[in-house]
Amino acid sequence: MGSVERFSHLLTRSAKRKQDFRSIFSRSEKIQQFNIQHSAFSTAVKDRLRGRLAVWLRVALAVGMCFSLALLGGCGRPKTGVIIAGSTSVQPYAEVLVEGYAVLYHDDAIDVQGGGSSAGIAAAESGTADIGMSSRDLNEKERELWFVEIAKDGLAVIINPNNPLTDLTINQIRDIYSTKISNWSELGGSPAKIHIIAREEGSGTRSAFESLVMGEAEISPKAIVQDSNGAVRQLVADDKNSIGFISLGLVDQTVKALTLDGIVPNRENVINGTYSLFRPFLFVAGKEPVGAVKQFIDFTLSPNGQKLLEHEGLISSAIEGIENEEI
Amino acid sequence: MKININSKLMTQDSKPGLPSSPSGSPLDSRQSVKIKTDRLSLHYGSFQALKDISFDIPKCAITAIIGPSGCGKSTLLRVFNRMNDLIPGVRVEGKVTLDDLSIYEKTVDVVSLRKRVGMVFQKPNPFPMSIFDNIAIGPKSYGIKDKQELNNIVRWSLTQVALWNDLKDNLKKSSLDLSPEQQQRLCIARTLAGEPEVILFDESCSALDPEATMKIEELMVDLAKKYTIIIVTHNMEQALRVSDMAAFMMIEEDKAGRLVEYEKTNIMFSNPKDKRTEDYITGRFG
Amino acid sequence: MKKFKEKLSGRIFFIFALSSISVLALITVFIIVKGAPIIAKVGFFNFVFGMKWSPSQGEFGIFPMIIGSVSVTLGAAALGVPIGICCSIFLAEFAPAKMREFFRPAIQLLAGIPSVVYGFWGLLFIVPFIRNFFGGPGLSILAGAIILAIMTLPTIISISEVSLLALPRQYKEGALALGLNHWQTIWSVLLPAAKSGIVAAVILGIGRAVGETMAVIMVLGNAVAVPLSILDPVRTLTTNIGIEMGYASGEHQQALFATGIVLFVIIMLLNSFAQYITRKR
Repeated sequence: MGSVERFSHLLTRSAKRKQDFRSIFSRSEKIQQFNIQHSAFSTAVKDRLRGRLAVWLRVALAVGMCFSLALLGGCGRPKTGVIIAGSTSVQPYAEVLVEGYAVLYHDDAIDVQGGGSSAGIAAAESGTADIGMSSRDLNEKERELWFVEIAKDGLAVIINPNNPLTDLTINQIRDIYSTKISNWSELGGSPAKIHIIAREEGSGTRSAFESLVMGEAEISPKAIVQDSNGAVRQLVADDKNSIGFISLGLVDQTVKALTLDGIVPNRENVINGTYSLFRPFLFVAGKEPVGAVKQFIDFTLSPNGQKLLEHEGLISSAIEGIENEEI
Repeated sequence: MKININSKLMTQDSKPGLPSSPSGSPLDSRQSVKIKTDRLSLHYGSFQALKDISFDIPKCAITAIIGPSGCGKSTLLRVFNRMNDLIPGVRVEGKVTLDDLSIYEKTVDVVSLRKRVGMVFQKPNPFPMSIFDNIAIGPKSYGIKDKQELNNIVRWSLTQVALWNDLKDNLKKSSLDLSPEQQQRLCIARTLAGEPEVILFDESCSALDPEATMKIEELMVDLAKKYTIIIVTHNMEQALRVSDMAAFMMIEEDKAGRLVEYEKTNIMFSNPKDKRTEDYITGRFG
Repeated sequence: MKKFKEKLSGRIFFIFALSSISVLALITVFIIVKGAPIIAKVGFFNFVFGMKWSPSQGEFGIFPMIIGSVSVTLGAAALGVPIGICCSIFLAEFAPAKMREFFRPAIQLLAGIPSVVYGFWGLLFIVPFIRNFFGGPGLSILAGAIILAIMTLPTIISISEVSLLALPRQYKEGALALGLNHWQTIWSVLLPAAKSGIVAAVILGIGRAVGETMAVIMVLGNAVAVPLSILDPVRTLTTNIGIEMGYASGEHQQALFATGIVLFVIIMLLNSFAQYITRKR
């Protein structure tokens, strides 16, 4: 190609380029124009909608929040979790079982709650809990549910360590709780009013105490009521004039357990029958357990589970052979 | 009766050329002095409200403090019962004497001062309790417990203000049920119950209608027979009607209130010595 | 268009307001429906004035709990009202501005502490203190009264202080001009003038005390017996529900709802009374 032709070629090319650019620019101008118009229009529309939208938005937000809160509230329960609820006496032992179970089966989605034996049985019946814990025998109506005894527990009558007394008869305890005896001096101690501490009405521990100690007599309504073994123990530990009853396995050095008619409250005496205050620990379910629930209950009744319970101070009931093993 | 000669009665701001009175006080020989101020100045923090005020207030007469709004009339009035003490940061210089008692000494018991110098406010302010309790509250706090004595005091006070016959059967009624004029009378009666020597009226008729104002003015004149009355008013006709002495105040550029002229009322209003007084009285400002 | 927007937003707010009232109605209807049958069965007088509460034996008399509620509330009032009013007088009349700025938020903080924390603190400090210095088990009316008094202080103090500060200056000026000293002014003029506000504050505080559960459930001892001294343990209407609702069923549960009805009526009466008094001003 000659230089002229090349040059004109260049020219036309550049002219074409310019034209291209121009068209591009004009396109973008058009776009800009359109944007400006559009934004003007949209501002107008936005303004009109803003008022209504704002209100609807807020309504929607509020409703949405309510729903999500409701959903969240309802969805607290993990899908594979097992819920165990009931007696505060059984509760600490159930928690130990859960820990042992988690080590062996790598399943730590089990939730243990208190509430008392009656509450636990009711929860099992309604399905609110998979397993209900009870520290008392079931009544006729409750026996329609599925249940199994997992251990026996002694019932200890405790007093403050600074109280010089060490032994009482069951009759005396009954008289104390019915306020026939109201002063420590009547039992040989220094004169002071006896502060009787009992559990709440729905407590399995209380029911056990009523049937084993009180019999026909009633616990005085003047008794101070606390809603867990731990609370009773704490109170007796603090108040030197108090007396209470708790699960034998929960007795520690902050309180003193009385001997009944000279019999020391311990595992051996419960097993050989000389210490008469004991009650069954039960697992109750609304229907025959399956899946994770069944697995957990099987673990509880297995030698491993029973060993754990014995270690914590309970008396095994599932397998006879365990009783004679030393831990 | 001693007459106190006060040679500093006229301030330096008076027009040159006018002779300042060498004998000073406009009071004549019959009048004894109840309250005397000597170079009184008052400051709120850094602001000076009153500057260098000196004059004598005669006993058993009505002295009116007049002047344009904001010139410090109420402030001056409140000096006499130390109500300015309620304002934080207030500082008083100069001397104020009540019957030879210098009232701004540290040893003065303000509570007993206020028994001697009573005050009636612009807006009637009866306490929200019964008529009887309103009047009895002062004497009770002074220590009077005897029921009979309290009854007597209430009866006497209400009689002084001509309310006894109207209210004697309704003493347990709430004071807030009374008309404004009656309420103001009640407040005056309440003040009288303490047996004061001086009564201060801080624009006490401005919240009342003309007829009620007239009645209160009549009461003032009547009370002046036994009590020393000092009134603050922005109503010049009122000053002319009731007062014996008039004190005209004004503020200068520094916003401090000064006493411009102090004279017998009829003399000041017919022949004011200071041009500013004349301007105010004739209504050219204020 | 604007009109429509206004009407729409007005209607939406109306719906929200209605929803909160409807919740109130729901709860009211619920308690009445659940609780009325047992009152009908046992008899109103037997329920309210019966001395024996023993659900396992079918006995539902709540009088010991009424006495418990009344005694703890009165104790709280006896302790809290004088302290509260004195505090409010101090804040309104005596405290310099800087002190007021420190005290006011501190008192409001008291109101922010959760009631269960109060109960816990009471159990750890107040109960042993009472046991060691006054005798008895420590769990007592006195313990509950102390805790509740502290809890109602913010209400009483702030409303009383506002009532005092809202008084027109003229009252104080008039009193001082008469020759009353500061204390006489406060006692004879300002307090009587602020009376309706202070009374409303007290009643609101008492209303809160009556409804309190968590703070007192740990310190009262929960004995179902009429107390003979302030060192005796008691159970209030609220703590009765709190302790037993977990396991109550059937008639027992109905009786607890019926207790709720009684509480409802008491608190409604107290609130209406407080409103009436403030409106009278």
